[in-house]
Amino acid sequence: MAEVLIKKEACRGCQICVEVCPTEVLAFDEAEQKAVVKNATDCIACLSCTYICPSTAISQQDFHSVKNFYRDLDFSVKAKRYL
Amino acid sequence: MSEPKIKLNTEWLSVCGGCHVALVDLHEKIVDVMKVIEIQRSPLLTDEKGYPPAQIGLITGSVRTDHDREVAKAMRASCDKIIAFGTCAVYGGIPGAALAHTAEDILDRVYLNNPSTDSSKGVVPNRLVPKMDAKITPLDEVIDVDLYLPGCPPHAAFIFDALMSLTKDRDPRAKEESICAKCNRLMKKTDVSQIKSVMDGMPDEDTCFLSQGYICLGSVTLNRCAAPCPQNGVVCTGCAGPMPQILTEPNRDIRTEVAARMSALTNIPPMDVVNEIEKSAKSYYAYAMASGMVRNKPTFLIEKWIEQVEKV
Ligand code: SF4
Ligand code: SF4
Ligand code: SF4
Ligand code: SF4
Ligand code: SF4
Repeated sequence: MAEVLIKKEACRGCQICVEVCPTEVLAFDEAEQKAVVKNATDCIACLSCTYICPSTAISQQDFHSVKNFYRDLDFSVKAKRYL
Repeated sequence: MSEPKIKLNTEWLSVCGGCHVALVDLHEKIVDVMKVIEIQRSPLLTDEKGYPPAQIGLITGSVRTDHDREVAKAMRASCDKIIAFGTCAVYGGIPGAALAHTAEDILDRVYLNNPSTDSSKGVVPNRLVPKMDAKITPLDEVIDVDLYLPGCPPHAAFIFDALMSLTKDRDPRAKEESICAKCNRLMKKTDVSQIKSVMDGMPDEDTCFLSQGYICLGSVTLNRCAAPCPQNGVVCTGCAGPMPQILTEPNRDIRTEVAARMSALTNIPPMDVVNEIEKSAKSYYAYAMASGMVRNKPTFLIEKWIEQVEKV
């Protein structure tokens, strides 16, 4: 099952992830002004939240990654060599 | 007996020099570095002018002259591992922004028609200076590069970690994290409906610039600086270069990603943000536009954007 993780200290509280999630996995904690995982088992690993999050606070684990053949191949190779 | 030290050469090409100063910014940590690394040649730190064999070579800057190309090759030949150090070396950086102009335009502006210097002699220097290329070339289009450390300059903590990871043969700890992840501002929903210039008003200190109508590139920029600008009242201008998802995905771009986030936070239509960024594309794309990863994107139309602004 896909697992969604939110890094609390990185979250800037924009709520965009809550709005884009098609399956209402995420919710917003008004008191803390941070996004939280509410219905973890409903995640379909579409990665919409991960891509839109401005602060790279969301990551996914245990999901099948679809290969994007349209990616910039040169950079994908280089990206592994960043310090 | 202690382990032999790892030998390091450094060299600068077309740069501001800030990346070499950043090495010295390690402050007392440089003592730890010197225990395991011997700096053999470095334009700011040692007198050595040659290129003795070394395990690690740091190169700052991009290639704009014959001289840059020759010394880059000499570094490649003398060092086992070459690190493109700083945004200039990784993407072209500030000198790469000259891509928006021809070499003739630049020489004319600097030496012949410069409003703030006396150019009455009408001379462009051509003796004892290396020949200037028609355009900037990022380092890895001239020599093979093993590792990349962007940042303008990279923060000392990232430099220290990178050097230590190389000496200890471990992975560096730096992550693919954006500037927003280290910013202390709160992204609030607002009813702001117009984009502001940085000269307009006094931004609130605790609220995200995007929420207030100021364009900030924090969400599209890789953190190699620990986010000093938004934490000190200034928008992020993207000096460490774009986030990997912008470089790998053809349908994602600085202007569209910022527009999606800004329009979700405010009442500003996404196309207003896109148009504003295109209007000042020379600034918003300055740091990485010379790199093929940005320059060759089918959606990167800098010539058209400049023409649209300059014909008005
Ligand atoms: S990956 Fe998709 S389904 Fe899962 S939490 Fe994010 S937006 Fe929702
Ligand atoms: S998109 Fe990211 S920053 Fe925004 S609320 Fe969600 S986790 Fe927090
Ligand atoms: S990356 Fe920035 S600090 Fe480093 S040399 Fe280039 S302009 Fe200067
Ligand atoms: S967009 Fe700028 S001001 Fe807003 S959270 Fe990111 S870095 Fe901070
Ligand atoms: S402009 Fe952005 S990337 Fe550059 S130092 Fe400031 S916060 Fe960091």
